[in-house]
Amino acid sequence: MSAKKTKKYVLIALLILFSVICIYPLLYLLFYSLKTNNEIFFTNPFGLPMEPQFDNYVRAFNAFDLILYFKNSILVTFASVAGILVLALPFSYATTRMTWRFKNAAVFYITMGLFIPIQVIIIPLAILVKNMHLANTYFALIIPYIAFNMAFTAMVLSTSFRALPKEMEESAFLDGAGVCKTFLHIMVPLIKPAVATSLIFAFLNIWNEYTLASILISKTEVKTLPIGLSAFVGQHSTDWGAMGACFVISSIPTILMYLIFSEQVEKALTIGGAVKG
Amino acid sequence: MQKMLGNKRVIAFFTLPALLVFTIVVFYPILQTLQKSFYDWDGLSEAIFTGLDNYKELFTDDLFYESLKNGLIFAGILVVFQMGLATLLMFALMNKNIPFKRFFRSSFFIPVVLSVTVACQLWSSIYDPEFGLFNNLFQALGLNYRQNWLSDMNWAIVAVAFVNVWQFTGYQFTIMYSGAKSIPEDYLEAARIDGATNMQINLKILLPMLKDTYRMCFVFAITGGFNAFAHMNLLTKGGPGTSTYTLTYMTFRSAFNVGEYGYGCASAVILVAQCLLATFIINKIFSSKEKY
Repeated sequence: MSAKKTKKYVLIALLILFSVICIYPLLYLLFYSLKTNNEIFFTNPFGLPMEPQFDNYVRAFNAFDLILYFKNSILVTFASVAGILVLALPFSYATTRMTWRFKNAAVFYITMGLFIPIQVIIIPLAILVKNMHLANTYFALIIPYIAFNMAFTAMVLSTSFRALPKEMEESAFLDGAGVCKTFLHIMVPLIKPAVATSLIFAFLNIWNEYTLASILISKTEVKTLPIGLSAFVGQHSTDWGAMGACFVISSIPTILMYLIFSEQVEKALTIGGAVKG
Repeated sequence: MQKMLGNKRVIAFFTLPALLVFTIVVFYPILQTLQKSFYDWDGLSEAIFTGLDNYKELFTDDLFYESLKNGLIFAGILVVFQMGLATLLMFALMNKNIPFKRFFRSSFFIPVVLSVTVACQLWSSIYDPEFGLFNNLFQALGLNYRQNWLSDMNWAIVAVAFVNVWQFTGYQFTIMYSGAKSIPEDYLEAARIDGATNMQINLKILLPMLKDTYRMCFVFAITGGFNAFAHMNLLTKGGPGTSTYTLTYMTFRSAFNVGEYGYGCASAVILVAQCLLATFIINKIFSSKEKY
């Protein structure tokens, strides 16, 4: 065997080792969500469950507020994503295609949002939420999520709006369409790929958001999955199987999304990163 | 045309809602944080102006230095291990003879899409002192070694940081790899024809051409370490004692547990200053290397 071949196998071995480090903990979680405590702790900590305990999943739904958290997460995520698009689409259209004096200033102002870590404003934001009587409502999360994700979305959308030729609007105006109608029926459909990218980015960010939710929400009724399930962390002496089941179920949407749209998801997250850097 | 696209009412209708939401939720609170850092304030009653008192107190607070130190440790671990590993993985996958590239890339990235709660729960069961995966593993290997990973004063911060390394190495890797993939193949091919080894190509061509990508990864790793909060809150609650406190944790505790909102704002301001300083230094270092 040549030195080159040896090197290749060493590299492959290293890559396999690291993918095992990435994937095995998740399999461990999946396996133990189907095991009894006795099996997890003593008889079979590492391998496939001997007799899959689907009962754990039934208990996960019955004993924990899993359905409630799921419902809240879906509601908050969808409302926020919709809100982001409703605000960011017209904003980026007006700042790229329309002509007015302060548009560069407006873009600069919103772009600041990319560089502000959420930690910096958390105290005044918590007070603001309380004073507006929004504490422990869905809006305590939806409004900040919209505000925080708007800058990035507007930037991605602007890039695509800017690339469209002037003729698109010209012919629409000649046909007698107004600005609003042209925007909605002609321009927005033309930038669908950018809308999809920013939608995926916002979805993943909001679905997994923990810091803000952990500070602004304390009532069980409005908890999203990341904070609802966090109550288990560190105090799981009782029922590992059912809690494992909760974590598996709550991860399914994002993992599924990644497996289906992997290129899109990677692109969205790395653009997001690139911008925030 | 011009008249249509210059319609003031439409422009106002399109932009004012976004500007308003951003001003109320992001911009105004930033000013508030800055202002309130000079006040003695409990979040409810009238704030009292105390000048630099909060900052003076902060600079004599042992907890502040511990938090600062932990932020540096966290950032250091992320730079060395997250970026180091990501770089090695990127080199390996840039090698032409490696099969299953798509599989490797996906498996590195999957932890990234998990919520931090799931990642922390998973690792807290791996670290568990009685039944955890690690201790079971040692037992299976016949070792009598037992370690309570998260309750050790010195090692807890490292154990917490490694959960972040595990979760987000794939993210850094993906940024580096897509950067490397966008370098024109001709450059690499030319070097190969000239007889350069893979390692020479990696070090002499890839890395210098990925300068901007690395600048960004550094900013991520370092400000990410300084800002660390969620992992501590989930895994250790800042403990044992105060051994895993960071500045964000301190901000959070001052305001929401102890009711010292002004003091919390001051530590938030220091946090921003620290992140800005780090970003500035990174940019300086990277731009001075431009003249090689």
